[in-house]
Amino acid sequence: MTNHAAHLFSIATGSPEPIYRQLVDQVKRLVAAGQMAPGDGLPSVREVAQALALNPMTVSKAYSLLEMEGVLARRRGLGMEVAARSGPASSAHERAALLRPTLERAAMEARQLELDPDTVLSLFTQILKEQA
Amino acid sequence: MSTAIIQSAAISKHFGSATILNGLDWQIMPGQVVGLLGRNGAGKSTLLECLLGLRELDAGSVRIYGEDVSQLGDATRARIGYVPQKSDLFEWMTPRQMLGYFQAFYPRWNAAKVDALLERWGFDKLMQNKPISKLSGGEQQRLSIIRALAHDPELLVLDEPVSALDPVGRRDFLRELIDGVIERGTTVVFSTHILSDLERVALDLAFLKDGKIALQGRLDELLEGARRVVGPAALLDQPLAGELRRQRAPDGTVSVITHGGAGLGALGKEAGVRVEPLSLEDLFIEVTQ
Repeated sequence: MTNHAAHLFSIATGSPEPIYRQLVDQVKRLVAAGQMAPGDGLPSVREVAQALALNPMTVSKAYSLLEMEGVLARRRGLGMEVAARSGPASSAHERAALLRPTLERAAMEARQLELDPDTVLSLFTQILKEQA
Repeated sequence: MSTAIIQSAAISKHFGSATILNGLDWQIMPGQVVGLLGRNGAGKSTLLECLLGLRELDAGSVRIYGEDVSQLGDATRARIGYVPQKSDLFEWMTPRQMLGYFQAFYPRWNAAKVDALLERWGFDKLMQNKPISKLSGGEQQRLSIIRALAHDPELLVLDEPVSALDPVGRRDFLRELIDGVIERGTTVVFSTHILSDLERVALDLAFLKDGKIALQGRLDELLEGARRVVGPAALLDQPLAGELRRQRAPDGTVSVITHGGAGLGALGKEAGVRVEPLSLEDLFIEVTQ
C-alpha cells in the first residue's frame, strides 16, 4: 500500500471543466489504470490545496463525490484511501466510460469539420494501431 | 439561515453625468470567497469602496455586520481588512513605521504573522527601513496585503490585489490566501482580471455590468451550466431558458449564450445545431460585453 503525494494531481485552469471535476476524473483514471490500488492513501485535502494552490473546498468537494461514488473510502481516523473493489476489477465498460468526455470533444470537432463517421472511425482505428 | 455580512440594497453612484452603480443589490454571506468580475471601468473599485463606506452613496444603503456603513463603529472596523487597488498614502514612511502606525489601531494585531510574511515575501532589514515611495509597485502591493492581513480580519476585501505581482508573487499570495485566510473561515471579496487565480480560489462569482450585478453564482455551477448554442435561426427563434445573449451572423446563423443549461438536450440533437461548453474566459466575454 502506497501513500500518494499531492503532486500526483494536476489541474488546468481556463478549461470549461470545473477544477473539482478534473480532480474526480483524474482519480478515477488512476484507479482504473491500477496506478492507485485499493487501500492506497490519498494526500490530505490540505496538501492538495497547498500543492496546487486551490481552495480546500474544491478538493474536499472532489473527495466527497469520489466517496459517494464508492471510488474512495474514509479512513478510520483521518484521510481517504482508495476503496476496496466490491466487484471484479473495473470492467472494460467502466473504463471506456472514462474516455467518453475526450471522445465527445473529438466528435464535436469532427462534426465541425463535416467529417462522416466512417472517416473518423477509420482514423481512430489507425491511431490505436499506431500506439499499440 | 445565516445573515449576510455585507447587505447592499439599491445602491447608486454617479460621477458627474456618468452612472457607475445603478440600483445595485448584492449580498455577501459568511465564509464566502467571492470573485468580482467586470470590464475596465465597469465600476468594480467604486463598488468595493461603496461597500466599505469609503465613498458616499447617491442612493441606497449598505450594512456590514448589521451596521450602517456610513457609521461603522471601531469594533466593526477592526473586523475588516482592505487592500486598495493603489495606495499612495504613507509613502514617506518606511514599511516598519507604517505597520507600527497601524498596529496602534488594532487590538488584534498579529505581530508574529507580520514578521513571518515580511520575511517570506522578501522584505529584508534594508527594505523594511526604506521609504515606501522607493519600493517597486509589486513590493508596495505585497506590503498593502500584509497590512490588511495583520489583524486577522474576518472580512477581507481586495481590489485587484495581484495586478502588480509577477507569477511567483501571485502564487505566494494565493498560498497565503488559502492557508492563512480561507482556512480560518474568513469571508473574502476580491476583484481581479486574472481568471486563473480566480478559478483556483473563488467559490462564487459576480459579474458587474451596467452598474448592476448581471450574473452571480457558484463558479462550478456557472461553468457546468454555461453553453453556447449555435444553429440556424429557424431552430433557435424561441428564447432559451437562462438566455444571456443572442447574436445573429450575416448568414442567418444564430448564437445564443445560456446559463443554467437545462433543457438543451433535445436541441443539441437537431441537425445543424451545436451545443458547446464555455470556459470562464468565454463566459466573462459573453456576460460583460
